[in-house]
Amino acid sequence: MNFDVIVTGRTGGGRLLLTTITVLCLTIMYAPVLYLLLASLNPDVQLGLVPPSRFSLTWYFALLEDRRLARALEESALVGLATAALATPIGLSAALAYRAMTRMRGIFLLVVISAMLVPGTIEGIGLSAILRALGLAPSWVTITIGHLLWTLPFAAVVSLIGLSAVRPSTIAAARDLGAGPMRAFVDITLPLMRGNLISSFIFAFLLSLNEHARAYYLVGRQNTLPLYMFGAMNSGASPTIYAFSGAVIVISGAVVAVVFAGLAGQPSAGRYERPPRPAD
Amino acid sequence: VGARWRPVTFFLALPSLVVFVGLGFIPLVLTATWSFQTFDPDTYWIKPAWSLASYAALLESGRATVFLRTAGLAALTTTVCTLLAVPAATVVGLLSGPRRAALLLALFTLPFFTSGLVRAFAWRLVLGRQGIINNALMSLGIVQTPVEWLLFSDFAVVLGMVAAYLPFAIIPIVLAFARIEHSVIRASQDLGAGFWTMFSTIVLPLVMPGIVAGFLFVFVVAVGTSMEIQLLGGAGASSISIMITDVLRVVNFPLAFAIATVVVTLLIVLIIVANRALRLSRLFESLGI
Repeated sequence: MNFDVIVTGRTGGGRLLLTTITVLCLTIMYAPVLYLLLASLNPDVQLGLVPPSRFSLTWYFALLEDRRLARALEESALVGLATAALATPIGLSAALAYRAMTRMRGIFLLVVISAMLVPGTIEGIGLSAILRALGLAPSWVTITIGHLLWTLPFAAVVSLIGLSAVRPSTIAAARDLGAGPMRAFVDITLPLMRGNLISSFIFAFLLSLNEHARAYYLVGRQNTLPLYMFGAMNSGASPTIYAFSGAVIVISGAVVAVVFAGLAGQPSAGRYERPPRPAD
Repeated sequence: VGARWRPVTFFLALPSLVVFVGLGFIPLVLTATWSFQTFDPDTYWIKPAWSLASYAALLESGRATVFLRTAGLAALTTTVCTLLAVPAATVVGLLSGPRRAALLLALFTLPFFTSGLVRAFAWRLVLGRQGIINNALMSLGIVQTPVEWLLFSDFAVVLGMVAAYLPFAIIPIVLAFARIEHSVIRASQDLGAGFWTMFSTIVLPLVMPGIVAGFLFVFVVAVGTSMEIQLLGGAGASSISIMITDVLRVVNFPLAFAIATVVVTLLIVLIIVANRALRLSRLFESLGI
Protein backbone atom coordinates (compact mmCIF):
# COMPACT_ATOMS: atom_id res chain seq x y z
CA MET A 1 0.00 0.00 0.00
CA ASN A 2 1.25 3.39 -0.90
CA PHE A 3 -0.48 6.47 0.35
CA ASP A 4 0.02 9.98 -0.78
CA VAL A 5 -1.67 13.25 0.00
CA ILE A 6 -4.48 13.24 -2.54
CA VAL A 7 -6.47 16.21 -1.38
CA THR A 8 -4.65 19.48 -1.03
CA GLY A 9 -6.03 22.98 -0.73
CA ARG A 10 -9.37 24.04 0.70
CA THR A 11 -11.57 21.42 2.30
CA GLY A 12 -14.43 23.53 3.65
CA GLY A 13 -13.61 22.64 7.25
CA GLY A 14 -13.29 18.97 6.31
CA ARG A 15 -9.65 18.68 7.27
CA LEU A 16 -10.31 20.17 10.71
CA LEU A 17 -13.37 18.01 11.40
CA LEU A 18 -11.84 14.74 10.19
CA THR A 19 -8.56 15.38 12.01
CA THR A 20 -10.44 16.14 15.22
CA ILE A 21 -12.32 12.85 15.01
CA THR A 22 -9.07 10.99 14.31
CA VAL A 23 -7.52 12.54 17.42
CA LEU A 24 -10.64 11.50 19.37
CA CYS A 25 -10.21 7.92 18.11
CA LEU A 26 -6.57 7.82 19.18
CA THR A 27 -7.51 9.36 22.53
CA ILE A 28 -10.06 6.71 23.45
CA MET A 29 -7.70 3.99 22.21
CA TYR A 30 -4.65 5.19 24.12
CA ALA A 31 -5.60 7.55 26.95
CA PRO A 32 -6.99 4.99 29.44
CA VAL A 33 -3.96 2.73 29.08
CA LEU A 34 -1.51 5.63 29.39
CA TYR A 35 -3.36 6.78 32.50
CA LEU A 36 -3.11 3.27 33.92
CA LEU A 37 0.65 3.30 33.26
CA LEU A 38 1.08 6.57 35.15
CA ALA A 39 -1.16 5.38 37.98
CA SER A 40 0.93 2.21 38.30
CA LEU A 41 3.93 4.41 39.22
CA ASN A 42 2.10 5.61 42.34
CA PRO A 43 3.92 4.16 45.38
CA ASP A 44 0.86 4.52 47.66
CA VAL A 45 -1.91 2.00 48.13
CA GLN A 46 -4.36 4.80 47.35
CA LEU A 47 -5.29 4.89 43.67
CA GLY A 48 -4.53 7.90 41.52
CA LEU A 49 -1.78 10.03 40.06
CA VAL A 50 1.18 11.39 42.01
CA PRO A 51 3.57 14.11 40.87
CA PRO A 52 6.43 12.75 38.70
CA SER A 53 8.92 13.40 41.50
CA ARG A 54 7.22 10.64 43.50
CA PHE A 55 7.05 8.11 40.66
CA SER A 56 8.28 4.76 41.87
CA LEU A 57 8.53 1.19 40.66
CA THR A 58 7.55 -0.20 44.08
CA TRP A 59 4.67 -2.28 42.76
CA TYR A 60 6.69 -3.53 39.81
CA PHE A 61 9.29 -4.91 42.22
CA ALA A 62 6.49 -6.45 44.26
CA LEU A 63 5.55 -8.41 41.11
CA LEU A 64 8.86 -10.22 41.18
CA GLU A 65 7.84 -11.80 44.48
CA ASP A 66 4.59 -13.19 43.10
CA ARG A 67 5.20 -16.90 42.48
CA ARG A 68 1.75 -17.57 40.98
CA LEU A 69 2.25 -14.76 38.50
CA ALA A 70 5.66 -16.14 37.53
CA ARG A 71 4.21 -19.60 36.90
CA ALA A 72 1.34 -18.14 34.83
CA LEU A 73 3.89 -16.19 32.80
CA GLU A 74 5.98 -19.32 32.21
CA GLU A 75 2.89 -21.22 31.05
CA SER A 76 1.89 -18.39 28.71
CA ALA A 77 5.40 -18.10 27.30
CA LEU A 78 5.47 -21.85 26.62
CA VAL A 79 2.07 -21.78 24.89
CA GLY A 80 2.97 -18.61 22.97
CA LEU A 81 6.28 -19.97 21.67
CA ALA A 82 4.74 -23.30 20.68
CA THR A 83 1.85 -21.50 18.95
CA ALA A 84 4.13 -19.12 17.06
CA ALA A 85 6.50 -21.95 16.06
CA LEU A 86 3.55 -23.79 14.48
CA ALA A 87 1.57 -20.85 13.08
CA THR A 88 4.51 -19.24 11.24
CA PRO A 89 5.46 -22.16 8.94
CA ILE A 90 1.84 -23.25 8.45
CA GLY A 91 0.87 -19.66 7.64
CA LEU A 92 3.73 -19.49 5.16
CA SER A 93 2.64 -22.70 3.45
CA ALA A 94 -0.94 -21.37 3.29
CA ALA A 95 0.37 -18.19 1.65
CA LEU A 96 2.43 -20.18 -0.87
CA ALA A 97 -0.60 -22.36 -1.63
CA TYR A 98 -2.74 -19.26 -2.18
CA ARG A 99 -0.14 -17.87 -4.58
CA ALA A 100 -0.01 -21.14 -6.51
CA MET A 101 -3.78 -21.56 -6.72
CA THR A 102 -5.51 -20.96 -9.98
CA ARG A 103 -9.03 -21.67 -8.76
CA MET A 104 -10.92 -21.14 -5.53
CA ARG A 105 -8.55 -18.47 -4.25
CA GLY A 106 -11.53 -16.42 -3.08
CA ILE A 107 -12.94 -19.32 -1.08
CA PHE A 108 -9.55 -20.14 0.45
CA LEU A 109 -9.13 -16.52 1.55
CA LEU A 110 -12.68 -16.44 2.89
CA VAL A 111 -11.97 -19.55 5.00
CA VAL A 112 -8.87 -17.83 6.40
CA ILE A 113 -10.78 -14.64 7.20
CA SER A 114 -13.80 -16.44 8.65
CA ALA A 115 -11.53 -18.22 11.11
CA MET A 116 -10.69 -14.80 12.58
CA LEU A 117 -14.36 -14.12 13.17
CA VAL A 118 -15.64 -17.15 15.12
CA PRO A 119 -16.19 -16.01 18.72
CA GLY A 120 -13.47 -17.28 21.07
CA THR A 121 -15.93 -18.76 23.55
CA ILE A 122 -17.54 -20.86 20.84
CA GLU A 123 -14.22 -22.02 19.38
CA GLY A 124 -13.16 -22.81 22.93
CA ILE A 125 -16.13 -24.98 23.89
CA GLY A 126 -16.13 -26.73 20.49
CA LEU A 127 -12.44 -27.62 20.76
CA SER A 128 -12.62 -28.62 24.41
CA ALA A 129 -15.55 -30.95 23.63
CA ILE A 130 -13.63 -32.58 20.78
CA LEU A 131 -10.38 -32.91 22.70
CA ARG A 132 -12.29 -34.34 25.63
CA ALA A 133 -14.00 -36.86 23.35
CA LEU A 134 -10.55 -37.77 21.98
CA GLY A 135 -9.35 -38.29 25.54
CA LEU A 136 -6.75 -35.50 25.48
CA ALA A 137 -6.42 -34.04 28.98
CA PRO A 138 -6.37 -30.24 29.19
CA SER A 139 -2.85 -28.84 29.44
CA TRP A 140 -0.59 -26.36 27.66
CA VAL A 141 -0.93 -28.60 24.60
CA THR A 142 -4.70 -28.11 24.35
CA ILE A 143 -4.34 -24.33 24.76
CA THR A 144 -1.68 -24.35 22.03
CA ILE A 145 -4.08 -26.19 19.71
CA GLY A 146 -6.74 -23.53 20.35
CA HIS A 147 -4.27 -20.71 19.89
CA LEU A 148 -2.97 -22.18 16.64
CA LEU A 149 -6.49 -21.93 15.23
CA TRP A 150 -6.74 -18.34 16.52
CA THR A 151 -3.36 -17.07 15.26
CA LEU A 152 -3.03 -18.93 11.95
CA PRO A 153 -5.21 -16.49 9.92
CA PHE A 154 -3.04 -13.57 11.03
CA ALA A 155 0.18 -15.46 10.34
CA ALA A 156 -1.13 -16.38 6.88
CA VAL A 157 -2.06 -12.78 6.04
CA VAL A 158 1.35 -11.45 7.19
CA SER A 159 3.05 -14.11 5.03
CA LEU A 160 0.81 -13.26 2.08
CA ILE A 161 1.83 -9.60 2.34
CA GLY A 162 5.48 -10.66 2.49
CA LEU A 163 5.07 -12.95 -0.48
CA SER A 164 3.67 -10.08 -2.52
CA ALA A 165 7.09 -8.45 -2.20
CA VAL A 166 8.65 -11.35 -4.08
CA ARG A 167 8.42 -10.59 -7.77
CA PRO A 168 7.53 -13.59 -9.92
CA SER A 169 10.21 -12.45 -12.38
CA THR A 170 12.90 -12.77 -9.69
CA ILE A 171 11.91 -16.39 -9.17
CA ALA A 172 11.71 -16.94 -12.91
CA ALA A 173 15.23 -15.54 -13.28
CA ALA A 174 16.53 -17.94 -10.64
CA ARG A 175 14.82 -20.83 -12.39
CA ASP A 176 16.27 -19.76 -15.76
CA LEU A 177 19.70 -19.81 -14.19
CA GLY A 178 19.13 -23.44 -13.30
CA ALA A 179 17.85 -23.30 -9.70
CA GLY A 180 15.31 -25.97 -8.82
CA PRO A 181 12.05 -24.89 -7.15
CA MET A 182 13.43 -25.74 -3.71
CA ARG A 183 16.69 -23.85 -4.30
CA ALA A 184 14.77 -20.80 -5.58
CA PHE A 185 12.53 -20.92 -2.50
CA VAL A 186 15.41 -21.19 -0.03
CA ASP A 187 17.76 -18.70 -1.73
CA ILE A 188 15.29 -16.13 -3.07
CA THR A 189 11.82 -16.31 -1.50
CA LEU A 190 12.80 -16.96 2.11
CA PRO A 191 15.42 -14.20 2.42
CA LEU A 192 13.05 -11.67 0.81
CA MET A 193 10.34 -12.64 3.29
CA ARG A 194 12.55 -12.72 6.36
CA GLY A 195 11.08 -9.58 7.95
CA ASN A 196 7.52 -10.77 7.47
CA LEU A 197 8.26 -14.22 8.87
CA ILE A 198 9.76 -12.66 11.99
CA SER A 199 6.70 -10.39 12.32
CA SER A 200 4.42 -13.36 11.79
CA PHE A 201 6.15 -15.23 14.62
CA ILE A 202 6.03 -12.26 17.00
CA PHE A 203 2.41 -11.38 16.22
CA ALA A 204 1.32 -14.99 16.73
CA PHE A 205 3.21 -15.05 20.02
CA LEU A 206 1.59 -11.82 21.26
CA LEU A 207 -1.90 -12.82 20.13
CA SER A 208 -1.49 -16.08 22.02
CA LEU A 209 0.01 -14.36 25.07
CA ASN A 210 -3.02 -12.10 25.43
CA GLU A 211 -5.76 -14.58 24.49
CA HIS A 212 -8.32 -15.27 27.18
CA ALA A 213 -11.65 -16.66 25.89
CA ARG A 214 -10.31 -19.88 24.31
CA ALA A 215 -7.75 -20.51 27.04
CA TYR A 216 -10.55 -20.36 29.61
CA TYR A 217 -12.03 -23.59 28.23
CA LEU A 218 -8.80 -25.35 27.27
CA VAL A 219 -6.68 -24.68 30.33
CA GLY A 220 -5.39 -27.48 32.53
CA ARG A 221 -4.25 -27.03 36.11
CA GLN A 222 -1.82 -24.20 35.45
CA ASN A 223 -3.37 -20.82 34.59
CA THR A 224 -2.06 -18.71 31.74
CA LEU A 225 -1.29 -15.03 32.26
CA PRO A 226 -4.63 -13.57 31.05
CA LEU A 227 -6.58 -16.08 33.14
CA TYR A 228 -4.55 -15.17 36.20
CA MET A 229 -4.97 -11.45 35.44
CA PHE A 230 -8.70 -11.74 34.93
CA GLY A 231 -9.05 -13.41 38.31
CA ALA A 232 -6.94 -10.73 40.00
CA MET A 233 -8.83 -7.89 38.29
CA ASN A 234 -12.15 -9.15 39.57
CA SER A 235 -11.04 -9.88 43.12
CA GLY A 236 -10.38 -6.58 44.86
CA ALA A 237 -7.90 -3.99 43.67
CA SER A 238 -4.36 -4.58 44.84
CA PRO A 239 -1.95 -2.03 43.34
CA THR A 240 0.11 -4.87 41.88
CA ILE A 241 -2.67 -5.40 39.33
CA TYR A 242 -1.85 -2.00 37.86
CA ALA A 243 1.81 -2.85 37.81
CA PHE A 244 1.40 -6.11 35.91
CA SER A 245 -1.16 -4.53 33.59
CA GLY A 246 1.43 -1.83 32.96
CA ALA A 247 4.19 -4.37 32.42
CA VAL A 248 2.12 -6.37 29.93
CA ILE A 249 1.23 -3.23 27.95
CA VAL A 250 4.75 -1.80 27.92
CA ILE A 251 6.36 -5.07 26.85
CA SER A 252 3.88 -5.98 24.11
CA GLY A 253 3.63 -2.36 22.91
CA ALA A 254 7.40 -2.04 22.68
CA VAL A 255 7.75 -5.33 20.81
CA VAL A 256 5.08 -4.37 18.25
CA ALA A 257 6.59 -0.91 17.81
CA VAL A 258 9.99 -2.48 17.08
CA VAL A 259 8.40 -4.88 14.57
CA PHE A 260 6.54 -2.05 12.82
CA ALA A 261 9.69 0.05 12.66
CA GLY A 262 11.55 -2.94 11.22
CA LEU A 263 8.85 -3.57 8.60
CA ALA A 264 8.79 0.10 7.61
CA GLY A 265 12.55 0.21 7.20
CA GLN A 266 12.71 -3.07 5.32
CA PRO A 267 14.67 -2.79 2.07
CA SER A 268 12.15 -3.12 -0.72
CA ALA A 269 14.42 -5.27 -2.88
CA GLY A 270 12.29 -7.21 -5.27
CA ARG A 271 9.22 -5.14 -4.42
CA TYR A 272 7.30 -3.98 -7.41
CA GLU A 273 8.33 -0.41 -8.03
CA ARG A 274 7.95 2.01 -10.86
CA PRO A 275 11.22 2.65 -12.65
CA PRO A 276 12.61 6.10 -11.84
CA ARG A 277 11.70 8.82 -14.28
CA PRO A 278 14.51 9.81 -16.61
CA ALA A 279 15.92 13.21 -15.73
CA ASP A 280 14.70 16.01 -17.97
CA VAL B 1 -10.60 -29.56 -3.79
CA GLY B 2 -10.27 -28.64 -7.42
CA ALA B 3 -9.24 -31.36 -9.80
CA ARG B 4 -6.86 -28.97 -11.52
CA TRP B 5 -4.86 -28.18 -8.42
CA ARG B 6 -1.33 -29.33 -8.84
CA PRO B 7 -0.16 -31.76 -6.13
CA VAL B 8 2.35 -29.20 -4.82
CA THR B 9 -0.40 -26.66 -4.27
CA PHE B 10 -2.44 -29.27 -2.48
CA PHE B 11 0.41 -30.20 -0.13
CA LEU B 12 1.10 -26.53 0.58
CA ALA B 13 -2.55 -25.92 1.44
CA LEU B 14 -2.85 -29.12 3.45
CA PRO B 15 -1.46 -28.03 6.86
CA SER B 16 -3.64 -24.92 7.05
CA LEU B 17 -6.68 -26.83 5.82
CA VAL B 18 -6.09 -29.45 8.53
CA VAL B 19 -6.10 -26.66 11.12
CA PHE B 20 -9.11 -24.77 9.75
CA VAL B 21 -11.19 -27.83 8.96
CA GLY B 22 -9.98 -30.20 11.67
CA LEU B 23 -9.76 -27.75 14.56
CA GLY B 24 -12.26 -25.15 13.39
CA PHE B 25 -14.96 -26.61 11.20
CA ILE B 26 -15.33 -30.17 12.50
CA PRO B 27 -15.74 -29.13 16.17
CA LEU B 28 -18.45 -26.69 15.11
CA VAL B 29 -20.25 -29.39 13.13
CA LEU B 30 -19.96 -31.88 16.01
CA THR B 31 -21.21 -29.41 18.58
CA ALA B 32 -24.11 -28.61 16.25
CA THR B 33 -24.89 -32.34 16.11
CA TRP B 34 -24.62 -32.75 19.87
CA SER B 35 -26.94 -29.80 20.40
CA PHE B 36 -29.75 -32.01 19.07
CA GLN B 37 -28.99 -34.76 21.61
CA THR B 38 -29.70 -35.22 25.29
CA PHE B 39 -27.70 -34.62 28.44
CA ASP B 40 -26.80 -37.84 30.23
CA PRO B 41 -26.68 -37.37 34.03
CA ASP B 42 -24.85 -40.70 34.47
CA THR B 43 -21.77 -39.79 32.45
CA TYR B 44 -22.04 -35.99 32.66
CA TRP B 45 -21.87 -36.02 28.89
CA ILE B 46 -24.28 -36.50 26.02
CA LYS B 47 -26.26 -39.58 25.02
CA PRO B 48 -27.37 -40.17 21.44
CA ALA B 49 -31.08 -39.59 21.99
CA TRP B 50 -32.32 -37.03 19.48
CA SER B 51 -34.25 -34.15 20.92
CA LEU B 52 -35.09 -30.52 20.31
CA ALA B 53 -35.23 -29.85 24.05
CA SER B 54 -32.17 -27.56 23.97
CA TYR B 55 -33.74 -25.39 21.31
CA ALA B 56 -36.97 -25.19 23.28
CA ALA B 57 -34.91 -24.18 26.32
CA LEU B 58 -33.39 -21.37 24.26
CA LEU B 59 -36.70 -19.60 24.39
CA GLU B 60 -37.07 -20.00 28.13
CA SER B 61 -36.00 -17.91 31.12
CA GLY B 62 -35.08 -14.72 29.32
CA ARG B 63 -32.49 -16.30 27.00
CA ALA B 64 -33.98 -14.57 23.96
CA THR B 65 -33.56 -11.27 25.82
CA VAL B 66 -29.84 -11.96 26.26
CA PHE B 67 -29.55 -12.62 22.52
CA LEU B 68 -31.32 -9.37 21.70
CA ARG B 69 -29.35 -7.35 24.26
CA THR B 70 -26.04 -8.72 22.99
CA ALA B 71 -27.00 -7.94 19.40
CA GLY B 72 -28.25 -4.49 20.44
CA LEU B 73 -25.06 -3.53 22.30
CA ALA B 74 -22.99 -4.90 19.40
CA ALA B 75 -25.04 -2.90 16.89
CA LEU B 76 -24.65 0.30 18.92
CA THR B 77 -20.89 -0.30 19.27
CA THR B 78 -20.61 -1.00 15.55
CA THR B 79 -22.51 2.16 14.60
CA VAL B 80 -20.30 4.36 16.79
CA CYS B 81 -17.16 2.62 15.48
CA THR B 82 -18.21 3.19 11.88
CA LEU B 83 -19.03 6.87 12.47
CA LEU B 84 -15.54 7.33 13.95
CA ALA B 85 -13.72 5.04 11.52
CA VAL B 86 -14.81 6.68 8.26
CA PRO B 87 -13.25 10.07 9.18
CA ALA B 88 -10.14 8.41 10.65
CA ALA B 89 -9.62 6.26 7.54
CA THR B 90 -10.21 9.33 5.35
CA VAL B 91 -7.40 11.15 7.13
CA VAL B 92 -5.11 8.19 6.39
CA GLY B 93 -6.32 7.68 2.83
CA LEU B 94 -6.85 11.23 1.53
CA LEU B 95 -5.17 13.79 3.71
CA SER B 96 -1.87 12.23 4.82
CA GLY B 97 1.49 11.81 3.18
CA PRO B 98 3.14 8.38 3.19
CA ARG B 99 4.96 8.91 6.49
CA ARG B 100 1.97 10.11 8.46
CA ALA B 101 -0.27 7.46 6.88
CA ALA B 102 2.16 4.75 7.99
CA LEU B 103 2.40 6.20 11.49
CA LEU B 104 -1.39 6.43 11.88
CA LEU B 105 -1.86 2.91 10.54
CA ALA B 106 0.72 1.64 13.04
CA LEU B 107 -1.04 3.49 15.88
CA PHE B 108 -4.39 2.04 14.84
CA THR B 109 -3.03 -1.51 14.62
CA LEU B 110 -0.74 -1.61 17.66
CA PRO B 111 -3.40 -1.99 20.39
CA PHE B 112 -4.65 -5.13 18.69
CA PHE B 113 -1.51 -6.95 19.79
CA THR B 114 -1.69 -5.80 23.39
CA SER B 115 -3.86 -7.25 26.10
CA GLY B 116 -7.57 -6.62 25.60
CA LEU B 117 -8.07 -7.39 29.28
CA VAL B 118 -5.78 -4.57 30.33
CA ARG B 119 -7.33 -2.12 27.87
CA ALA B 120 -10.82 -2.87 29.22
CA PHE B 121 -9.58 -2.80 32.81
CA ALA B 122 -7.97 0.62 32.28
CA TRP B 123 -11.41 2.15 31.74
CA ARG B 124 -12.21 1.40 35.38
CA LEU B 125 -9.58 3.94 36.40
CA VAL B 126 -11.03 6.52 34.03
CA LEU B 127 -14.73 6.01 34.68
CA GLY B 128 -14.82 4.90 38.33
CA ARG B 129 -16.07 6.87 41.33
CA GLN B 130 -12.56 8.17 41.89
CA GLY B 131 -11.63 8.09 38.20
CA ILE B 132 -10.27 11.05 36.26
CA ILE B 133 -13.65 12.01 34.84
CA ASN B 134 -15.47 12.08 38.17
CA ASN B 135 -12.56 13.84 39.86
CA ALA B 136 -12.53 16.49 37.15
CA LEU B 137 -16.30 16.99 37.27
CA MET B 138 -16.25 17.31 41.07
CA SER B 139 -13.28 19.66 41.29
CA LEU B 140 -14.90 21.88 38.65
CA GLY B 141 -18.03 21.86 40.79
CA ILE B 142 -20.19 20.50 37.96
CA VAL B 143 -21.44 17.65 40.13
CA GLN B 144 -21.41 17.25 43.92
CA THR B 145 -21.37 13.45 44.09
CA PRO B 146 -19.62 11.08 41.65
CA VAL B 147 -21.60 10.24 38.51
CA GLU B 148 -22.56 6.59 39.01
CA TRP B 149 -23.63 5.55 35.54
CA LEU B 150 -20.16 6.05 34.04
CA LEU B 151 -18.87 2.67 35.21
CA PHE B 152 -20.53 -0.76 35.53
CA SER B 153 -23.11 0.29 32.96
CA ASP B 154 -23.96 -0.23 29.30
CA PHE B 155 -22.27 3.10 28.67
CA ALA B 156 -18.94 1.76 29.95
CA VAL B 157 -19.36 -1.48 28.01
CA VAL B 158 -20.02 0.30 24.71
CA LEU B 159 -17.18 2.77 25.28
CA GLY B 160 -14.79 -0.08 26.10
CA MET B 161 -15.85 -2.04 23.02
CA VAL B 162 -15.65 0.99 20.71
CA ALA B 163 -12.11 1.74 21.90
CA ALA B 164 -11.12 -1.92 21.54
CA TYR B 165 -12.64 -2.63 18.13
CA LEU B 166 -12.07 0.63 16.23
CA PRO B 167 -9.11 -0.91 14.35
CA PHE B 168 -11.44 -3.58 12.89
CA ALA B 169 -13.54 -0.78 11.40
CA ILE B 170 -10.69 1.48 10.30
CA ILE B 171 -8.36 -1.01 8.57
CA PRO B 172 -10.86 -2.31 5.95
CA ILE B 173 -11.80 1.27 5.02
CA VAL B 174 -8.11 2.17 4.67
CA LEU B 175 -7.70 -0.87 2.39
CA ALA B 176 -10.61 0.41 0.31
CA PHE B 177 -8.98 3.86 0.10
CA ALA B 178 -5.81 2.28 -1.25
CA ARG B 179 -7.79 1.06 -4.27
CA ILE B 180 -9.04 4.50 -5.28
CA GLU B 181 -7.48 5.96 -8.40
CA HIS B 182 -6.10 9.36 -7.46
CA SER B 183 -6.95 10.73 -10.89
CA VAL B 184 -10.67 10.27 -10.23
CA ILE B 185 -10.47 12.63 -7.29
CA ARG B 186 -8.25 15.11 -9.10
CA ALA B 187 -10.70 15.08 -12.02
CA SER B 188 -13.64 15.89 -9.76
CA GLN B 189 -11.72 18.77 -8.29
CA ASP B 190 -10.71 20.04 -11.70
CA LEU B 191 -14.38 20.05 -12.59
CA GLY B 192 -15.00 22.30 -9.59
CA ALA B 193 -16.34 19.92 -6.95
CA GLY B 194 -15.72 21.13 -3.39
CA PHE B 195 -14.33 18.80 -0.73
CA TRP B 196 -17.69 17.67 0.62
CA THR B 197 -19.23 17.12 -2.84
CA MET B 198 -16.22 15.09 -3.85
CA PHE B 199 -16.32 13.20 -0.53
CA SER B 200 -19.99 12.28 -0.71
CA THR B 201 -20.33 11.57 -4.44
CA ILE B 202 -16.94 10.01 -5.26
CA VAL B 203 -15.15 8.82 -2.15
CA LEU B 204 -17.97 7.38 -0.05
CA PRO B 205 -19.37 5.12 -2.79
CA LEU B 206 -15.86 3.89 -3.64
CA VAL B 207 -14.98 2.97 -0.05
CA MET B 208 -18.45 1.59 0.78
CA PRO B 209 -17.27 -2.06 0.56
CA GLY B 210 -14.62 -1.26 3.19
CA ILE B 211 -17.17 0.47 5.40
CA VAL B 212 -19.52 -2.49 5.26
CA ALA B 213 -16.67 -4.96 5.82
CA GLY B 214 -15.55 -2.98 8.87
CA PHE B 215 -19.12 -2.84 10.13
CA LEU B 216 -19.37 -6.60 9.76
CA PHE B 217 -16.03 -7.29 11.47
CA VAL B 218 -16.83 -5.09 14.47
CA PHE B 219 -20.34 -6.48 14.81
CA VAL B 220 -19.17 -10.09 14.70
CA VAL B 221 -16.37 -9.51 17.21
CA ALA B 222 -18.63 -7.47 19.52
CA VAL B 223 -21.28 -10.20 19.51
CA GLY B 224 -18.70 -12.79 20.54
CA THR B 225 -16.86 -10.92 23.28
CA SER B 226 -17.54 -11.14 27.00
CA MET B 227 -14.52 -9.41 28.51
CA GLU B 228 -15.86 -5.82 28.36
CA ILE B 229 -19.18 -6.85 29.86
CA GLN B 230 -17.51 -8.84 32.64
CA LEU B 231 -15.11 -6.03 33.53
CA LEU B 232 -17.22 -2.93 32.83
CA GLY B 233 -20.85 -4.06 32.79
CA GLY B 234 -23.36 -3.67 35.58
CA ALA B 235 -24.24 -6.37 38.08
CA GLY B 236 -26.15 -9.14 36.33
CA ALA B 237 -25.24 -7.86 32.86
CA SER B 238 -25.08 -10.80 30.51
CA SER B 239 -24.12 -11.58 26.97
CA ILE B 240 -24.26 -14.64 24.76
CA SER B 241 -20.73 -15.69 25.72
CA ILE B 242 -21.40 -15.23 29.44
CA MET B 243 -24.63 -17.22 29.07
CA ILE B 244 -22.70 -20.08 27.44
CA THR B 245 -20.24 -20.08 30.35
CA ASP B 246 -23.09 -20.07 32.87
CA VAL B 247 -24.87 -22.94 31.14
CA LEU B 248 -21.64 -24.95 31.07
CA ARG B 249 -21.14 -24.35 34.78
CA VAL B 250 -24.19 -26.55 35.34
CA VAL B 251 -22.78 -28.92 32.68
CA ASN B 252 -25.77 -28.52 30.36
CA PHE B 253 -23.70 -29.30 27.27
CA PRO B 254 -26.54 -29.64 24.73
CA LEU B 255 -27.93 -26.22 25.63
CA ALA B 256 -24.49 -24.55 25.45
CA PHE B 257 -23.94 -26.19 22.06
CA ALA B 258 -27.38 -25.07 20.87
CA ILE B 259 -26.58 -21.44 21.76
CA ALA B 260 -23.22 -21.73 19.99
CA THR B 261 -24.84 -23.30 16.94
CA VAL B 262 -27.44 -20.55 16.61
CA VAL B 263 -24.76 -17.85 16.88
CA VAL B 264 -22.38 -19.50 14.41
CA THR B 265 -25.19 -20.14 11.92
CA LEU B 266 -26.27 -16.51 12.03
CA LEU B 267 -22.66 -15.30 11.69
CA ILE B 268 -22.00 -17.60 8.72
CA VAL B 269 -25.14 -16.35 6.96
CA LEU B 270 -24.03 -12.78 7.62
CA ILE B 271 -20.52 -13.39 6.23
CA ILE B 272 -21.81 -15.21 3.14
CA VAL B 273 -24.36 -12.51 2.35
CA ALA B 274 -21.77 -9.76 2.81
CA ASN B 275 -19.26 -11.64 0.68
CA ARG B 276 -21.82 -12.15 -2.10
CA ALA B 277 -22.77 -8.50 -2.05
CA LEU B 278 -19.31 -6.99 -1.71
CA ARG B 279 -16.71 -9.58 -2.67
CA LEU B 280 -14.92 -9.08 0.65
CA SER B 281 -11.87 -10.95 -0.57
CA ARG B 282 -11.31 -8.15 -3.14
CA LEU B 283 -10.44 -5.81 -0.28
CA PHE B 284 -7.34 -7.81 0.47
CA GLU B 285 -6.05 -7.12 -3.03
CA SER B 286 -5.03 -3.69 -1.69
CA LEU B 287 -2.46 -5.48 0.40
CA GLY B 288 -1.05 -6.78 -2.86
CA ILE B 289 -2.00 -10.38 -2.10
